[in-house]
Amino acid sequence: MTPTISVQQLSKTYEVPEREGGFSAAVRSFFKRKYKDVKAVQEVNFNIEQGEVVGFLGPNGAGKTTTLKMLSGLLHPTSGTANVLGFTPWELKNDYLRSMTLVMGQRNRLSWDIPAADSFLLNQAIYRIPDDEYKETYKELDELLELEPLMKKPVRNLSLGERMKCEIAVGLLHRPKVLFLDEPTIGLDITGQARIREFLQEYNKRTGATIILTSHYMADVTALCERIIIIHHGQLKYDGGINDLSKKIAPFKLIGVLMENADAHDLSQYGEPVENMEDADKKFIQVKADEVTRITSRLLADLPIRDITIADPPIEDVIEQAFNA
Amino acid sequence: MFLIFKRLWQVNWAEQWQYRANLLMYLLYWLVSPIIYLAVWTSIATANGDVKGFTANDFITYYMVLLICDQVTSNIVIHTFGYKIQDGSLSGELIKPIHPMLTNALVNNVAFKILTMFGLTPIWIILFFLFQPDFSSVTLTGILLAIPAMMLAFLIGYFQSAAITALAFWTTRVYSIHEFYFALILLFSGQFVPLPLMPQLIQDIAQYLPFQLMLYYPIQLILGNLSTEQIIQGYVMTGVWLVISWLIFNWVWRKGVKKYSAVGA
Repeated sequence: MTPTISVQQLSKTYEVPEREGGFSAAVRSFFKRKYKDVKAVQEVNFNIEQGEVVGFLGPNGAGKTTTLKMLSGLLHPTSGTANVLGFTPWELKNDYLRSMTLVMGQRNRLSWDIPAADSFLLNQAIYRIPDDEYKETYKELDELLELEPLMKKPVRNLSLGERMKCEIAVGLLHRPKVLFLDEPTIGLDITGQARIREFLQEYNKRTGATIILTSHYMADVTALCERIIIIHHGQLKYDGGINDLSKKIAPFKLIGVLMENADAHDLSQYGEPVENMEDADKKFIQVKADEVTRITSRLLADLPIRDITIADPPIEDVIEQAFNA
Repeated sequence: MFLIFKRLWQVNWAEQWQYRANLLMYLLYWLVSPIIYLAVWTSIATANGDVKGFTANDFITYYMVLLICDQVTSNIVIHTFGYKIQDGSLSGELIKPIHPMLTNALVNNVAFKILTMFGLTPIWIILFFLFQPDFSSVTLTGILLAIPAMMLAFLIGYFQSAAITALAFWTTRVYSIHEFYFALILLFSGQFVPLPLMPQLIQDIAQYLPFQLMLYYPIQLILGNLSTEQIIQGYVMTGVWLVISWLIFNWVWRKGVKKYSAVGA
C-alpha cells in the first residue's frame, strides 16, 4: 500500500535580505542588497501511513512549520518531492484542498466580526458539503467539542480556548483525510489542552484520518502520538516510536530549589546546573531520573531550602541534549 | 457555485453592516469632490450663460449622474485585500478550494457598494431639490444600456485594481502605485470635468483608455448624448478592455502566488 504522505529529499531554503545597522549600510543596501541563505529544511525523508498520528518536535525555528506549510501546499520547496493522498501539495489542486486541512493559529477560517455559525455555513458551501452530511458532521463535532453555545456569538467575543475549538471544528467540517495542526493547543489552559487532545484522539479513532501536529507541549505529543519526528536545524534527527525516544532521553529530571542566600551554595556537587530564564529566583540542576529521590533528600538535608520542584526538562532542552550531546 | 456566492454574500453583508458608521464617513469623504465640482461649474456656467456649450443644467445633470456611476463602477479592493498579502493572512484563503480574489473579495466589494448606495440615496435626493436638474433627455433605453455598461466597467476597474493589489506580493508600496492609478482615473475618466472641456490631446488619449468607460461613457449613455455609432464603439472598447484587464490580472496573480509560496507564505 502506498503511504498517505511520502516525503523525499524535501528542502527549503529562504533568501533573507541582510544588512548592517546604520545610515551608510542602508544606502548601500538600496543599490545592492545582500542576501543570506537560510536553510529551513534540509533533505528530509519520511513516510506516514493512513491513520497515523505523528508529532513534529523541535525547537523554535527548527523547520516544523515550514515542513507543514510545504505539505499543505502553501510553500514551494526549493528541491525534493512530496506526495500527499496522491497529490503534489503545492500544485494547490482543488481536489487536494478539499481533502486536507491546515489549522494554524487562531485566526484562520473564522470571520472576526460575525458569529461562527455564519462562517461554518460558508465553509459548507466552499467545500460543497451536502446538507445531510454537514448536519451529521456538525452533530459529531458538537458532541465532542460542545460548540452550540459558541455558535451565535461574534467570533471576536469568544475566549482563546473557545475560538480554537471553533477553528478546529470549522477546519474539519469537510471531513479531511489528512490534518496538519500547527500548535493546536498553544495558549490554552490545562483543561483546554486536554479537551483538544481528547477530541483529536477520538476523531482519529472515528474517521481513520492521518494527523500531523507540531507542539511545544510534551504532553500533547505523549498523549496523542505513538510516533514522533524530531527536526532540528532543518534536519531530521529522529523518526520513530515515542517510547524509544523517552528511553534515550527520559533519564533526566530538572530539580529547582528556592533557598535563603542562594548564591552562597554551590549546587554543582548535586547535579549539572542549568540556566532557567523563566524562573530566575530558583536555581536548577539536572539529574538522572533514577537518582532524583536520593539527590532530593540530600538537598533537603544539606541546604536551607524553602521550596523545591521536580519537573521534566522542557522539550527544547531535551531535544538539544539528545542530539547535540 | 451559486450557494458559495449566496453564503459569501451573507457573511460579507453582515461584516459590512458591522462597519456601517465607518462606511458612512467614507461615503461623505468620497462625495466631497464631485459635489464641489458640481457647485463650482454650475455657478461659472450660470454667470457666463455657458462654458464651451455646456449650460448650468448640463453640469448639474452630469455630476448628479456621475455620483451614481462612480458608486457602481469603483472598487475598494486595494483596501480590503492588500494587507492580507502583506501580513500573510492570505495563507488561510489560499488553501481553500476557491479563488480568493474572484469570490470573497469580489462579493465584499459588491456588499460595500450596495450599502453605500443606501447612504447615497438621501444625499442624492437633497441635491436634487437643491439644484433642481432637468433630466428630460434621460430615456429608459439610455438607462437600460448604461446598466450593463457600468457593470462591465466595474469589472474592468476591479481586475485592474486587483492586479495592482497583487503587486503587494513583490513590494510593500502598492498603495502609492494605486494612488497613481487613481490619479489616471481622475484625469481621464471625466471625474474632474466632462471630457469635452479637457484639452484636445487629453481627449484623444482618453478615448483609447479604459477610464472614460467607468464614468464619462455611462453618464453620456444615461443622459442620451450618444449616437448609435458611439454607443457601439463604447461597448466594443468595454469588451476589449475587459479581456485585457482580465488577462493582466490573471498573469500578475499567478506569478504573485508563485512568488508568495517561494519566499514563505
